[in-house]
Amino acid sequence: MNKSTSTSEMDEREVEFIAFMLQRSISEMATEVCDQCGVCPSVCPVSRHMDGFNPRLLVAKVSLGKIEELLRSKEIWTCTSCLKCKERCPEDISPFDVILILRNLAYRAGYNYPEAYDDFITGVRETGFISASQSIRMHDGSKVNREDLGLPTVSGPQDMTVFRDIIDGIIKAGIRK
Amino acid sequence: MKYALFLGCTIQSEEFGYEASVREVLPALGVELLDMKGASCCGFPAFSSISKLGWHYLSARNMAIAEEMGFDLLPLCNGCHLSFIETIHYMETDPDLKEIINSNLEKEGLSYNSKCRVVHLLEVLHDNVKPAKIRSSVTHPLNGIKLATHTGCHALRPSSLQKIDDPEQPQKLDELIRALGAETFDYPEKNDCCGSQLSVASGVSTLKIAGEKLNAVKSYGFEGLVTTCPFCFKMFDGRQRAIRGVLKDRSLQVPVFYYTQLLGLAMGLKPERLGLQLNQSLDDEIIMKIRGEQND
Repeated sequence: MNKSTSTSEMDEREVEFIAFMLQRSISEMATEVCDQCGVCPSVCPVSRHMDGFNPRLLVAKVSLGKIEELLRSKEIWTCTSCLKCKERCPEDISPFDVILILRNLAYRAGYNYPEAYDDFITGVRETGFISASQSIRMHDGSKVNREDLGLPTVSGPQDMTVFRDIIDGIIKAGIRK
Repeated sequence: MKYALFLGCTIQSEEFGYEASVREVLPALGVELLDMKGASCCGFPAFSSISKLGWHYLSARNMAIAEEMGFDLLPLCNGCHLSFIETIHYMETDPDLKEIINSNLEKEGLSYNSKCRVVHLLEVLHDNVKPAKIRSSVTHPLNGIKLATHTGCHALRPSSLQKIDDPEQPQKLDELIRALGAETFDYPEKNDCCGSQLSVASGVSTLKIAGEKLNAVKSYGFEGLVTTCPFCFKMFDGRQRAIRGVLKDRSLQVPVFYYTQLLGLAMGLKPERLGLQLNQSLDDEIIMKIRGEQND
């Protein structure tokens, strides 16, 4: 397995653990007990508004072993995480968790994912937060920042180099490039 | 009551009205807020989707900072709150995960020892401060205005882990609203999603989901919508104009508030100190009605 260069500081055990975690995640997708009852699409707000998104069919594809088809698909990124499917599933399958596992697998195995995630990661790597403090528009159109409103300055991680190395190590360990 | 105040990403970067109102009203009710040094993103929703280990690391490091401060952690965002609750669960059920996380935390001079308790703003206000005390601090009751509550998905589900309120019949935000002299009642879409997490995948569908809820709220005669989640607020308030555009309905106007902004108004604080000038969905009329001022 190829490892990206930034994993040099990663303990071999950590890489193994991530692989183990993902493997265990796959086994946690106990989709074969799904009765295809249809509760999940009936409560899913996304299914109501987007053709082609159906958590019941997604779970069926997992039990049929069509994992690669799903990893390539856009549908695994099409979920608003309302958690109603998880709450309502009579078999405790949680299509939401299945989706989260598939997303993790897709990212790690190098399939396409929405570009916004790269921005999120960049933000966290650079400031500790997805987005740094901005000037925002008031109701009347003028702009204000935290200082204007008397809000204290936010301090991110104290040693950004150490923080960034840890984040890089964790998210890149074991990724095939 | 002292808490380590966790702002996360959305509040510190743009939801200043929420933060300003929280910093005004909580101390006035005897809740001391301590700022955290070195806090970061909680890992949700970005890292939970691409690296569960990265997600738990980020949540754990913030809890480790709160542990070191010696106070319970108060995240103001529903997403952050659930992220911490889930990470606590996974760290307790998976010793390997906890060990790996701690071996990385050590590099930042931190450690997670399962001592951090995480509380939700609704728990602080409803269970600790209590509606009776809030009622007694109200000097400017909200004039019987009818407000819809939106507790938000991640404060309610999954009910196996998230224990803030009844997952099917949440009432805490309702009681807190009534304590201000406003009215509220249950409605069928009360526990429905704001749709904000879909925006990464589909800009139009995300607006339609939010618009559906705003339409429902308006149809029942509510004069405004109240939440304590910055994601939900951003969706219903900041993107309301875009929602009107997608639904091609210019009449869909629903004033949206953070609960703490209304609490501040009821305590007689000036709207500017509560960041109400930042809410995009408000007009002068609603503020005047809330404050019992005549506009004719």
